[in-house]
Amino acid sequence: MAGITFKNVVKTYDNGVTVVPNLNLEIKDKEFVVLVGPSGCGKSTTLRMIAGLESISDGELYIGDQLMNAVAPKNRNIAMVFQNYALYPHLSVYKNMTFALELAKVPKDEMNRKVKWAAEILGLEPYLDRKPKALSGGQRQRVALGRAMVRDPEVFLLDEPLSNLDAKLRTEMRSQISKLHKRLGTTFVYVTHDQTEAMTMGDRICVMKDGIIQQFDTPQNLYDYPCNLFVAGFIGSPQMNFIDAEVKKAEGGYKLCFGEAEVTVDKDLAAYEGKTVICGIRPEDLHAEKQFFGEGNMIDAYIDLDEMMGSESYLYLKYAGQKMIARVPARYAKKAEENISLAIDAEKVHLFDKDTEKAI
Amino acid sequence: MDKKPSHARTVIAYIVLILLTFLCLFFFYILVINCTRSHQQIQAGFSFLPGSSFAKNFNSVIHDAKLPVLSGIKNSLIVSACCAILATYFSALTAYGLYAYNFKLKKPAFIFIMLILVMPTQVSAMGFLNVITKLGMINTLYPLILPSVAAPAVFYFMYSYMQSSLPLELVEAARIDGSNEFHTFNKVVIPIMKPALAVQAIFAFVQNWNNYFIPALVLQENSKRTLPILIAMLRSADFLKFDMGKVYMLITIAIVPIIIVYIALSKYIVAGVALGGVKE
Repeated sequence: MAGITFKNVVKTYDNGVTVVPNLNLEIKDKEFVVLVGPSGCGKSTTLRMIAGLESISDGELYIGDQLMNAVAPKNRNIAMVFQNYALYPHLSVYKNMTFALELAKVPKDEMNRKVKWAAEILGLEPYLDRKPKALSGGQRQRVALGRAMVRDPEVFLLDEPLSNLDAKLRTEMRSQISKLHKRLGTTFVYVTHDQTEAMTMGDRICVMKDGIIQQFDTPQNLYDYPCNLFVAGFIGSPQMNFIDAEVKKAEGGYKLCFGEAEVTVDKDLAAYEGKTVICGIRPEDLHAEKQFFGEGNMIDAYIDLDEMMGSESYLYLKYAGQKMIARVPARYAKKAEENISLAIDAEKVHLFDKDTEKAI
Repeated sequence: MDKKPSHARTVIAYIVLILLTFLCLFFFYILVINCTRSHQQIQAGFSFLPGSSFAKNFNSVIHDAKLPVLSGIKNSLIVSACCAILATYFSALTAYGLYAYNFKLKKPAFIFIMLILVMPTQVSAMGFLNVITKLGMINTLYPLILPSVAAPAVFYFMYSYMQSSLPLELVEAARIDGSNEFHTFNKVVIPIMKPALAVQAIFAFVQNWNNYFIPALVLQENSKRTLPILIAMLRSADFLKFDMGKVYMLITIAIVPIIIVYIALSKYIVAGVALGGVKE
């Protein structure tokens, strides 16, 4: 078992494009870390650098205490699960799982025991003699996981392993991978662009953009205390509402003014007095229930479109020339083309500097 | 738009196909009929019915002391089989090198191979002959076999097939699993390439079986000669001994192995011709 440390790691491709400018990251032993970000943010490249499939242009990468920059993939004691499974199509499930073990000259008994153990956990026992093409997507993904498990790796690397599965199977596999992590007690590094996967699976999440780490924290902290506008917008579905608001001095604090709303916040905004800041409000912090209604924190918005989700409703609103989304319990929701009164939960308002986009 | 072809179109298509099939198969029919007829009968004109000289023609081909047919078949088999194996394996290896690795001269290497593809054999024949004479390989089968390791057309086919059917993740998965590069090629890439290897092996076999030009330059002794040269020798035999029945019989014997190869592997040929360009 081992942790992973990136020290000033740079990745520049032969064509001169730098995808990872300077990466410093410490993944603890036995931790489940999710690298998340939009396409092209360098998350897959980072994972592939851990695997040794991409060379490191500069800096140092450690797995455990060992410097790994020049170590071949096969000597890193890692296992990787690929997005398209990468199962050997001409080999049976059993042979796929023992491919690495045979190369490592593991005795046959030991090999059978390991395959049996992995197949039992993953429910693959009836399929050991089948070829990958005779399996469904979910089964193939489980074989890929099994192939990684039997090797007892120090680090598990997973590159968007669920993106080729349908929604139901994805939910199922998500919990299976989480359980597997607890059971194996190995370091997991998981790459995804799906923030639901990131939030539900990771012990810590590393949000990346343009090869730069934006924030590396627990899912709850990322959600509650996003460090900048990008993280705030990326984490959470539907996305956080961003509204330009003017800061004014009020009794016992400062108030944020936009449209007719004047939301008093308990923050020292002396430096921003008279200036415009970006006010971030999560859709669920706009309340249609009467017990939240108060003075100043109310908005009367026009509903452009309503999406009924069953227990709750997403309302796409227009207020003071700005677009917003509210997530309200279905029984309080109104229909499109109506007006609705909503209360802003002032305690949960996030503020961002308009120039630096950093949290205030 | 899913429009059903009209009745007239189907009829025309069938007529054209029947004509083409007739054109292809009629010459085989003439060949088989004529190998059962005597020289005089053949000279008298074409007949749709077989003659009675099959055994006579067969014996005169097999027992001609000046015409070592059996060793010709053996030589042709050795050359064609070795060429088929070498051409497919090494072309796949070259294609894999250019497909799976990134190196500085990758593009120029590809262009260089494609340039060789457009160079006719005849252009380099004299130089080739010069080299093998100096290497002491004249009058041996090696100069016919060894050059097949460099087969640009086969390489290009393999390269296209890899692009459509060999995801690089498989190679990366093998690397992580502890497989070295050569082991990966032999144990992961080659099995995936099987359909492409099969179809190119057939083509290489047939091409070398029919090859006349280079064997005619290289082989001098009768016992070393391959079938196409023996056929040519028989056809240019002097006027008094010239026997058309014998010539037709030898040609029939020469095409039998190819027909067997085609029938046995026809499933791969049909599937293989469409390979390369189609992504699953």
